[in-house]
Amino acid sequence: MAKRTNERKLGALLLAGAASLAISASAASAGEFDGVTVNVMTFTGPQIAEPLQRRAPDFEKATGAKVNIITVPFSDLYSKLLTDWATGTNSIDAAVFAPQWAVDYVGPGFLENLTERAAADGDLMADDIAPFFREFSQKYGGDTYMLTLDGDFHMAYYRSDIFKENGIPAPETWDDYIVAAKALHGKDLNGDGSPDYGSCISKKRGAQAYWAIYSIAASFLQSQGTSQGAFFDTETMAPLVNNPAFGAALDVYTDTTAFGPPDEINLDVGDTRGLFTSGRCALTVDWGDIGTLAIDPENSSVADKVGSIMLPGSKKVLDRSSGELVDCDANSCPHAINGVNRAPFAAFGGWSGGINAKADDKVKDAAYAFFSHMSQPAQSNADVTVGKTGFNPYRLSQFADTKLWEEAGMSKAAAEDYLGAIQDSLNSPNMVLDLRIPQNQAYQQVVLDNAIARLLAGELDKAGTIAAIEEGWNELNEENGVEDQLKVYRSTLGL
Amino acid sequence: MRDRSLFQRMFEPPSLTEMAPASRLLTYAILILWAIVVLFPLYWVFITSFKLPFQVNDGPDFIPFVDYQPSGHAWRYIFVELGNDTLRPYMNSVIIALTSTVLAVTIGSLAAYALVRIQYNVKIGTVAGFIVLLTATVFAITRFGTPWHITAVIALALFFFFATSFGRHFKRSLGNNDILFWIISNRILPPVVAVLPIYLMFQRVGLLDTHVAMIATYMAVNLPIVVWLMRDFFAGIPIDLEESAEIDGASRIRIFATIVLPLARPGLAATFLLVLILAWNEYLLALFISTADAQTMPLLVAAQNATRGPQWWYMSVLIVIMIAPIILMTILLQKHIARGLMVGAVKG
Amino acid sequence: MPQTQTAAISRTEPAPPKFGLAEWIDQQTGKLFVLPAVIILLAFAIFPLLISAYLSLIKFKLATGGFSLNYVGLRNFKKLFYGSQQYHLLGTFDAFGIFEWTVFAAALALVAYWFFRFFTGGYFNIPGFIGRLITASLFIALLWLTLATVFGGHPGSLVVTLFYVTVGVSLQFGIGLGLALLCGQAIRGRNAFRIIFFIPLMVTPVGIAYMFRMLADMQRGPLANIWQWFGLGEFSWAADPWSARMVVLTGDTWQWVPFMFIVLLAAVENMPRDQLEAAKIDGAGSWQIFRDITWPSIAPVAATIVLIRLIEAFKIIDLPNVLTNGGPGIATESLTLHSFIAWRTQDLGGSAAVGYTLLFVSTVTCVSFFNFIGQKTRKTEA
Repeated sequence: MAKRTNERKLGALLLAGAASLAISASAASAGEFDGVTVNVMTFTGPQIAEPLQRRAPDFEKATGAKVNIITVPFSDLYSKLLTDWATGTNSIDAAVFAPQWAVDYVGPGFLENLTERAAADGDLMADDIAPFFREFSQKYGGDTYMLTLDGDFHMAYYRSDIFKENGIPAPETWDDYIVAAKALHGKDLNGDGSPDYGSCISKKRGAQAYWAIYSIAASFLQSQGTSQGAFFDTETMAPLVNNPAFGAALDVYTDTTAFGPPDEINLDVGDTRGLFTSGRCALTVDWGDIGTLAIDPENSSVADKVGSIMLPGSKKVLDRSSGELVDCDANSCPHAINGVNRAPFAAFGGWSGGINAKADDKVKDAAYAFFSHMSQPAQSNADVTVGKTGFNPYRLSQFADTKLWEEAGMSKAAAEDYLGAIQDSLNSPNMVLDLRIPQNQAYQQVVLDNAIARLLAGELDKAGTIAAIEEGWNELNEENGVEDQLKVYRSTLGL
Repeated sequence: MRDRSLFQRMFEPPSLTEMAPASRLLTYAILILWAIVVLFPLYWVFITSFKLPFQVNDGPDFIPFVDYQPSGHAWRYIFVELGNDTLRPYMNSVIIALTSTVLAVTIGSLAAYALVRIQYNVKIGTVAGFIVLLTATVFAITRFGTPWHITAVIALALFFFFATSFGRHFKRSLGNNDILFWIISNRILPPVVAVLPIYLMFQRVGLLDTHVAMIATYMAVNLPIVVWLMRDFFAGIPIDLEESAEIDGASRIRIFATIVLPLARPGLAATFLLVLILAWNEYLLALFISTADAQTMPLLVAAQNATRGPQWWYMSVLIVIMIAPIILMTILLQKHIARGLMVGAVKG
Repeated sequence: MPQTQTAAISRTEPAPPKFGLAEWIDQQTGKLFVLPAVIILLAFAIFPLLISAYLSLIKFKLATGGFSLNYVGLRNFKKLFYGSQQYHLLGTFDAFGIFEWTVFAAALALVAYWFFRFFTGGYFNIPGFIGRLITASLFIALLWLTLATVFGGHPGSLVVTLFYVTVGVSLQFGIGLGLALLCGQAIRGRNAFRIIFFIPLMVTPVGIAYMFRMLADMQRGPLANIWQWFGLGEFSWAADPWSARMVVLTGDTWQWVPFMFIVLLAAVENMPRDQLEAAKIDGAGSWQIFRDITWPSIAPVAATIVLIRLIEAFKIIDLPNVLTNGGPGIATESLTLHSFIAWRTQDLGGSAAVGYTLLFVSTVTCVSFFNFIGQKTRKTEA
């Protein structure tokens, strides 16, 4: 059975591949890029790199452009691109990376402005891309610099079968999350006779763990809608960390560790995904990948046993004027659902393709054609339903059409649940935007990541962690100019 | 041997050159234990490369065909599906490691031989003058942005001018041992200190991410080792052969190529292998200098730390294909190494 | 054999006449032989040394079309030694207890005795005094740092690197020597052991790191059953600072024991046989033989390879980077990794400053070892 679904999926992929050949042949005529080689850098697969590597030969056959996919570890990606472009080496013609880094690359003029190309590209079907990605993620300063290939934000997942059995409702608040994790920790969740874990959240240093703390902090920090922001005070650029709201989030974060696997501190997102899909975790916080990985018959034992929800929220939120945590009411939490302030965190913003402005024109055209090819519904709609691609839905047609997901192996109910959670998050007026100011990688991947890692390792207590983040961020603000940073920060929030 | 008690037979050596059975047993036990410590991890990597993901995740399986059914899926993925993306770094590694090793051994042997046979007197004043000029050059390039080639040529010209005109006024000089110590001390320099400037240097001349840059760098960092090891081999070669050749009128280069090198063959083989291993496995410098075109295997292996959890099966394949050629090389050169490496190191 | 061959060559081919360019070149060969090596090393050592010194005083910033370097003086060093990055390089301090004071006082007394011996030894000289002063102050400073951070506080990358270097090199030397002594005896299969023991040296350190992550996996690794039997199935080495450091150390030791072994074995085999046999006839015990005959004859070699390993051990990065990314917290971060992480975030100045700290510590350590320990072993031999 499992094998047959797999074969069917493969068939669908092949079909899509064949269709894509026909389509791209019309967009970029055959042989148009003969002799052109495009070096595309991204981070190590299979996720993200896999679909690029798989489709590159088709693209070469259709257009003549040879695409080399170069992979580096995630933690090296930002600086590899930056140094290659800043020093004028220009070995990298294009890259698939985090859109929040675009701010550092656009400023000095490393990234090609894609506005005109995108506007002239009918096959891209830009209107089909969800507004958040089209208007925010892909753009910087009003111009399009990236093509979204992947829709990303954090959600929470729970084992619907286990929750039902134990009469636990899906968590609405982080307190609920902890209570459920505590109740289910140590129970056998996958029937192999050994005790399993209540909550698995990737907490490895130097990986992609620093987003999880903000997924928790978001609903404590931001309640007045997207433009309120959750990282800095919009008037003074003072970091929003030295307050009881961030403290409460740190408590939740460390509490979840008690109900997680023993080596949670050394688990990358891939490890926690593996644990969750093999049925060893009751709860997890992750990007959209869990939904599609869970239906992969080869690696998952939890197909159709996964519930997807918008990130849990909080009944207390930070009052910015007094600096205290206050209970939710109509004033403090205008967007509350059932009295709970929910703030889905647009962590990362989705892997997107950008092109080196210094590359040869022909190479730039080929790189653009390749990204467009990857993003066109014919390819994208197949890729987003396959777990190992790492691509999550970001096109309206992908949310609307549950048939796509049923073909991939989801039940109708699971597909509706999964897509519903995504749409709830995307449509939330209180979505928290990821940090998009210059050097955001230093703020998050260095200062925040370090402080959180030391908190988990017991090197710092709560107050020490808060102080370390505040000091580090203030230092970065000063080094980059407080006024300049504030201006960019406000503009990303639409102020 | 005659009327020894069991205890004596077990714990006392039968003769001066033989060992008592008990201590012999203990010796073997310890040696075999360490052999297991050495071989088991490699065995584990080898069998893991033939496992399916679920076989890895379900817990330890030790013996192929008994505990689990081996599968070539990981090998197929690395060689067929990734194909070019594996072969490109592999070929880069082969080219860079081999070329840099050949160059380092050649240049290093020349220097090592010269340091053994020729007495040098380097004036301290010349050295000081050189360093001062170099500092000035670097300062001029970095602070005032003068073009590097012009500055370098001017500095070099100044250096020769000063060296020839004032050099003789300085009396104190450095001997061969000082030069040797200086060459070796270069190895103390942590790569992480050297790599940023090397990075900027290649950036200035537009050679970043090229084979040339990688080869030059590897050659430079391994030179001290070559000089260090080869010096002892050359010192061990009797000088009278060379002297008689010199009387016959052979030039130094000729003597070196036809007499000295063949005699130092075991040492060359050992040094070659050691430097090749170092160049083949180097990680940090490659991380800085190469991005795409010159990416080497250690980078590819390190990059396997994927977000989807480490893909042990793919990684194992990569590790196996990285170790295999070096082991093959060792077996080929084995005869020389057994003696060669030791002589050099022992005298070092 | 080579001798006869080469002799034949030089006899049958008469020397070419010397004149003009060829003669000039032949005269210059002395210089030509060393010049390439010297030039290359200058370019790749002295030059980077200077540039790095400069970089440690700047702040790297992205600017339109590229980047800019702004001079900031000693700010990078200040930040590392008593600013916001102090915890990272030096660690988090804890007040001295009785134990720490005892150890510290004992070390001070030892240093004082060392100087006393130097003053009264009759070979006092100024450069020697300065050298000893530098060595002693670095030793005391590092000891103080270790005592202040390891027991109670949290060691920074400097102390962690020292841990890898001192414990790692001692372990590798101990195991290597033991194996060499065993293998140096008259046993069968010596060559097989020799080749097998040599193998780990050939494995790329990055590969070793992954290998040990596989082996150290307490749920899926080959030792999982043993861990579970010990009740450690739920224990995570990666979450505990010292166990994480031990795993890094194990990988490093696995790789470098062969190097110690192979060289020490050669030294053991080169030992004068007649002395050994004479001692055995005299009925000397094995410890006595080791102390009086074996050790003195291998001591110079031992000092040399320990020095080589010291030099290389300070550069450790691959293992902690791949095994733990420097975690938990900053527990396994070595100086090189620290410097690399700083570079990765465009903090070029900070990166160079950390690198320079490493350069200073490793140079003083290695030169001290060479002068005060390495030379001594040679003297006793003579």
